[in-house]
Amino acid sequence: MKITALLVLKCNPEGTDPVILANALDVSHFGYFQRSSVKEFIVFVARTVASRTPPSQRQSVQHEEYKVHAYNRNGICSLGFMDDHYPVRSAFSLLNQVLDEYQKNFGDTWKTVQADSTQPWPYLNEALTKFQDPAEADKLLKIQRELDETKIILHKTIDSVLARGEKLDSLVEKSSDLSAASQVWKS
Amino acid sequence: MDLLLQFQHILETDPLIDEVGFVHPTQFATLTEDSTGDAAISDGTTFWCRDHKLGVSTQAILPLYNAAKRAFIAAMEEYKSLGDDGLESEVMKHSKALLLLSSDFGTAWNSRKLVVSKKQQLSMYMGELLLSALVLSCSPKSDQAWSHRRWVIKSIRGKCSALQEILGKESELVEKIAERSKMNYRAWNHRCWLVSYMTREQVLHELKKSRNWAGLHVADNCCFHYRRRLILWILKDSKLENASPGYSVEVSEVWKEELNWNEMLIKRYIGREVYALSTKQLNYALILLALWLHRRFLSLHWMKQFATNLHDVSCHSELKIRTSNSFNSFIDNELHLLNSCSTAPDNYFEDFQAQATYSATYILWLTKQIPEFWSEFQEKLTIGNLKTMMSKVCPERSFLWDSLID
Repeated sequence: MKITALLVLKCNPEGTDPVILANALDVSHFGYFQRSSVKEFIVFVARTVASRTPPSQRQSVQHEEYKVHAYNRNGICSLGFMDDHYPVRSAFSLLNQVLDEYQKNFGDTWKTVQADSTQPWPYLNEALTKFQDPAEADKLLKIQRELDETKIILHKTIDSVLARGEKLDSLVEKSSDLSAASQVWKS
Repeated sequence: MDLLLQFQHILETDPLIDEVGFVHPTQFATLTEDSTGDAAISDGTTFWCRDHKLGVSTQAILPLYNAAKRAFIAAMEEYKSLGDDGLESEVMKHSKALLLLSSDFGTAWNSRKLVVSKKQQLSMYMGELLLSALVLSCSPKSDQAWSHRRWVIKSIRGKCSALQEILGKESELVEKIAERSKMNYRAWNHRCWLVSYMTREQVLHELKKSRNWAGLHVADNCCFHYRRRLILWILKDSKLENASPGYSVEVSEVWKEELNWNEMLIKRYIGREVYALSTKQLNYALILLALWLHRRFLSLHWMKQFATNLHDVSCHSELKIRTSNSFNSFIDNELHLLNSCSTAPDNYFEDFQAQATYSATYILWLTKQIPEFWSEFQEKLTIGNLKTMMSKVCPERSFLWDSLID
């Protein structure tokens, strides 16, 4: 059971790429030379999924060995890259908590952010460590009753998140998040 | 410069290299760009080395492998025909380069065994552990590399005072590699093998230490398997003649703790995944299966222990009473668990079905294991209710319920 990344993104209604507000990644369990590609992929997949998660929706996308969970709350979206066995409900209670914390710390400042933030947000890194154990996330579950009321949409592949006519390969080609090396590894 | 020479030169310049990886040619630009820390040793196209990490361009693998293989075979032939001491270092150098590129090249591993066992120097044996670890950094499932470690440990046993410390480090290495490569049977098999060389303190320590990992990787049955190996070792050890009576109390504590921990994990998965995908369900079923299987193992040995105590005529009557009491509380606990696993919350149907099925088959399985305790069960377990419940929850297996319960 593993959380590899937690991210907070701002979704732009005009359909432009979402902006990264905060991110925390743990790629230590990958080989040294794979890490940069893994990071690029996480950012790319995060943007792709966030921009296709409508406001007040929760969805989970299976992508390779990951499950990417996303929760969009009025334009601000939290995402978690968990492995397959991390319980879905624990994942969403964590994403809920991350957004609460973000808004408590930064209020509505995110609405005016235009470029990716590189500022570290200590809370997110701590959360990444603490919630590796889903039992910790379950403690949150007990105080977040409203989670039960929203349905979570599940996608078996990232392709099923894409709009009709969109192809993952062409998104990969267009993306500035992926270096040539990562694009080659993909194919 | 010749590719192979260049490769071997880097390996010699930095003897602390602990990871080898293969990188795409275009990655060199990014690696060079990121110039934080020490300067890298790199020619910009084929090799890159910094912080004891060595990257080799994917384009160089094939020519490098061919060169290493040729050099190794030539060195080996010369060494065999001349038997010259000076040629040993050539064999060692070329087999190292070759194994980093092709981890399952058995002849190369064997040539190293040959040279090292002739020399009989502890430092050389330690060097083999380092090389094998380096090979495992890029090929974590290489059987040959794991088996080479076992050869080293067997060879230095009795000659090296730090054996226990080495075993501890082996165990840590397995855990580190298992974190990177899931369900790595060969790594865990190696860890299981280590157990027979451990001391009692070490086994108890390992049992304690691996619990956390197992709890976070419930789907990786390998770690549960390892824990079973440790527990069996403890059980066997406690039956040795020189074992103190206090030790057998400690063993039963270990057992109870493991049963409680397992129960906690099982309950963690009751009614969890409401929104289940089909692949998710499969994974989820595997987790449950691993947990219930682990419980069967624990219960079976626990009951056998009870049975031995109860039938042993030389046993104190006091001990018999105590055994009989703990047996009763054990049964009560298992029935209680069945109850909580088969009580259906309305909205959690899917999980409830899986859990109820597993818990019911578990209880029925228990009753078959030691039939003479069956009468005890019958009083407490209302069989008719169980049957009705199971036929309702899982009607597709009604044949099973009928045959088991009759």
